[in-house]
Amino acid sequence: MKNLWHILQLQWQSAPAFRLSLLYLTLLTVLALALPWLPLAYGPNDLDLDQIYQAPFGWKAEADKPRHWLGTDGLGRDVLANILYGARTAFAISLPVMAMASLIGLLLGAMAGLFGNQRLQMSRAFLIALLISLVPLSYYGIYLPIQLSNYGANTVEFILTGMLAIGLSLLLVLVLRVFLRQFPVLKEKSALPADELLLRLIEVQTSIPRLVLILVLAAVAPPTLLALTVLLTLTFWTGTARLARAEMMRIRELPFFEAAISLGYTPKRLLMRHAVPHLMGPVLVAFSFGLAGLLMLESTLSFLNIGVSTDLVSWGRMIAGIRANTAAWWLVAIPGVVLSLTVLALQTFSYYVLQFLQNKK
Amino acid sequence: MANFVFRRLLIAIPTLWLIASVIFLLSKLMPGAFGSAHLAEQEAGYYSRGDAASRDRNYRQFLETTGQDRPLFYFSITSAALPDSLHRVFPERDRDFLSRISWQYGNPEAAAVFFRSLKLWEASLTESELQQVQKYLFAIYSHQSPAQLQQAIAGMARQLPSNTGLWNDIIESSEHLIVNSSGYTYLFPSAQWHGTQNQYHRWLSDLIQGSLGNSLRDGRPVTMVLSEAIGNTWWLLLASIVIATLLAMELAILMVRRSGRVWRSTLLPSLFLLDSVPLFVLAMVLLVLLANPAFLQLFPVYGMGYYNTYDASWLQQVSQWLQFMTLPMICLVLANLSYLTNQFYQAVAAVAGQDFIRTARAKGLSEQVVIRRHMLRNALLPVITLLSDFLPALVAGAVVIETVFAIPGVGRLLIDAVLSRDYPVIVGIVVVVAVFRLLSHLLSDLLYSMADPRVRSQAS
Repeated sequence: MKNLWHILQLQWQSAPAFRLSLLYLTLLTVLALALPWLPLAYGPNDLDLDQIYQAPFGWKAEADKPRHWLGTDGLGRDVLANILYGARTAFAISLPVMAMASLIGLLLGAMAGLFGNQRLQMSRAFLIALLISLVPLSYYGIYLPIQLSNYGANTVEFILTGMLAIGLSLLLVLVLRVFLRQFPVLKEKSALPADELLLRLIEVQTSIPRLVLILVLAAVAPPTLLALTVLLTLTFWTGTARLARAEMMRIRELPFFEAAISLGYTPKRLLMRHAVPHLMGPVLVAFSFGLAGLLMLESTLSFLNIGVSTDLVSWGRMIAGIRANTAAWWLVAIPGVVLSLTVLALQTFSYYVLQFLQNKK
Repeated sequence: MANFVFRRLLIAIPTLWLIASVIFLLSKLMPGAFGSAHLAEQEAGYYSRGDAASRDRNYRQFLETTGQDRPLFYFSITSAALPDSLHRVFPERDRDFLSRISWQYGNPEAAAVFFRSLKLWEASLTESELQQVQKYLFAIYSHQSPAQLQQAIAGMARQLPSNTGLWNDIIESSEHLIVNSSGYTYLFPSAQWHGTQNQYHRWLSDLIQGSLGNSLRDGRPVTMVLSEAIGNTWWLLLASIVIATLLAMELAILMVRRSGRVWRSTLLPSLFLLDSVPLFVLAMVLLVLLANPAFLQLFPVYGMGYYNTYDASWLQQVSQWLQFMTLPMICLVLANLSYLTNQFYQAVAAVAGQDFIRTARAKGLSEQVVIRRHMLRNALLPVITLLSDFLPALVAGAVVIETVFAIPGVGRLLIDAVLSRDYPVIVGIVVVVAVFRLLSHLLSDLLYSMADPRVRSQAS
C-alpha cells in the first residue's frame, strides 16, 4: 500500500496528463457519490412525453417546467440525469467486479508463479481425498442451497446445509486420507502442477472471445445485476492472473526472495509478506486497464440490451436511443464523449503507472 | 511440422469439447422446454378445438422426436426428496407441481401417487364440474401447508359430493402424503444411472457426425443457418484485417524512419485517444456523420441491399458489396488500428537498434531498403503471433458492427439467437468461433516457420 502511494505521488508531481486524468476520475466519483444531494430537476427514468428529442442548450423551454440542460431522448428522459446516474451504474458494476476479479487473479496467479509445476508437493492419498470431497461440497454447498431457495426455505435449513457442506467434506478428507494411506502407492508424494493447471484454465476460457462468451452466458443466466456481476467476474480474472503469475516468477528469482525461502518461511508468509507488496504495482495497472475494459463492455451490453434489464440507467442505453432517430446527434455525442473520456482517463492512469514500474526496473 | 500440428490439435480438441459441452448443458438447465410455449399458444387459440388429451399426445410425440423427454446426462445426482422420473412429466406446470409437493412433504413416492390420482380424477370431470371446483384445484396447486391441502379437498367434497373410486383414491393418497411426510429427506442425495439414452449422448454423437441440430426458431438445420451467415462475416473480417495490417505497417514504417519524429509525436497520442473510444460509439458516430441525411449522406445506412446476383457481373457485385461494407470496414479498421500500429512500431523499433541494421546502413543502402528489406522481415515474427491472437477480437468486433449496421452475418445471428434463446444456434456459433480460433493458431504456426528459417530447422 505504501508502495502504491509512493508511485501515485511521484507521477502526480512529474506528469500533468496523469494529474488531469486523476482529477477527472475523482470528480466523476464524487459526482456519482453525491448524486442524491444534487439539485437535479429530473430523475434518470422520469418520462417527459411533452418534450421528446429536445436538443441540448435549447433556450425555449416550457415555462412551468425545469429546463433539460442537455436535452432529452425519445421518451423525454433527461440526458443530464442519465449521464450522472449512468456514471454511478458504470462504477457500481465495474468496481466490485474488478476488485473481485483482481483478488482471484492475484491469488491464483501468485500461487501458480510461486509453486510452479514441481514445488507443491502433497501425498497422493490427500489429493484423491480432496477430489472426492468435492462431491459432497458441491452437493451441500451449491446444489441444495439453489433448490432450497427455489422452493422457499427458512434460514435454519440454509445454515444446516451449510454446516453439513463444510463438516461432511472435512470429515471425508480426514477419514479417506487415513484409509488411503494403507496403500503404499498412494502414500508417495507427487507434485501438483499448479502452473500448468492455471495456464490450461486460462486457455480454455480465452479460446472464446470475451464478448461472445458473455453474450452466450447471458442467454442462460437471468438478466439481473447479480448474475451479470458474477459473469463479468468469471471472465475478467484471467488478465490479472497472467500478469501476477509472470511477475511472481520474476520475483522468485530475486535474491531477497531466495533468502526468505532459505529461511524456511511458510508459503503463506512468503506470499503475503514478501510477494504481494511487490505485486501491487502490476495489479494496479491490470486493475485500471480492466476497469476501462469493463466500462466499455458494460455499455456495449446495455447498448445491445443483453444481460441487463431495460430500466438500468446506463450510458449504453442512451446511445442505443439514437437508432430510432439518427438526427438526435446529442444522444451519441454527449454519453459517447463522457464514456470515452472516462476510458481515456483510466488508460492514461495505468499508462503512467506502468511507465513508472518499467523505469524502476 | 506435422508432428507439431498434430500436438496442437490434440490439445485443442478437448478444449473445444469442454466449452461446447458446458454451454449445451447450461442451456438445457434453463426452465422451459422448447415447444411448451408454442403448445400453450394453441391452447389459447379460439379455433383450436383439440381436447386436452390429444394436445398432450401431440406434445409428448414432439418431445419424443426431438429427444427432449430423455434424461439430460449419463447420470444424475439429485436430492432424495425429488422424484426420479421427473423428466418424463409434462407439461412443465405439472412437473413443477410434482417436484414442489414431493420436496415439501419429503416423500416422492407418496407425492407421485397423489399427483397421479389427482390428474386421473381431473381428467374424468366434465367441463361444468371443472368450473365448479376450479377454485379448490387452484388452492391445491398452490398450497403451502398440509392444512391448506386438507381444506381444499374438503371444499371439493362439499362442492361435488361423489363416491367414485377415483375420488376415494385422492382422499386416501392425500392422507397418506400428509401422514408420511418427513422433514429432512432433502439432505440425502440419490444417484441414478441413465445409460446412453440421454440428451447429451445424442447431441454429442450428432456433433461428431457434423450435425448441430435444428434451430428452435425456424426448424432449419443449424449448419444451414450458419453457412448462410458466415460468408458475410468472413469477407468483412478478411477485408478489414488486411487493410488494418497494411495500414498499421505503413504507419509503423513512417514512425520508425529517422525523419519520423513529427509522425511519432502526432500519431502516437492520437492513436491512444482513438483507442479509448468504444467500438459501438465509433460506429454510431460514423453512422450519424456519414450515413445520415441530416449531415452527410455518403453511404447507405443499413443492411446489404436487395440485389439480384444472377445477372450482375462480378464487378457490379463487388461494387454493390463495397457500397454497403465500406462504413463497417472503416469502423473495424479504426477500432483495431491503434493496437496494431503500437505493436508493429514496437516490433520494428526493437529491431532498428540491432547490429545488422547498422551494417546495412553502413553499406550505403537507402533508408527505404533498410526498413523494408532488413527490418520488416525480422519484425514480422512477433507480429504473426499477434495477428492470430487478434482474429477472435475481430469476431467480437463483428458482433457489434453487424448489429449496428444490420449486416446478416454471424455476429448478428448470435445477438438474435441470444435474444430469442435459440440454444442450438448459440452452441453452433460457439463451436464455429472456437474452430476458427484453432485454425488461426495453426496458421500462425505455419507462417511463423515460413518467416523464420530457424524455427523450421528446429521443428523438423
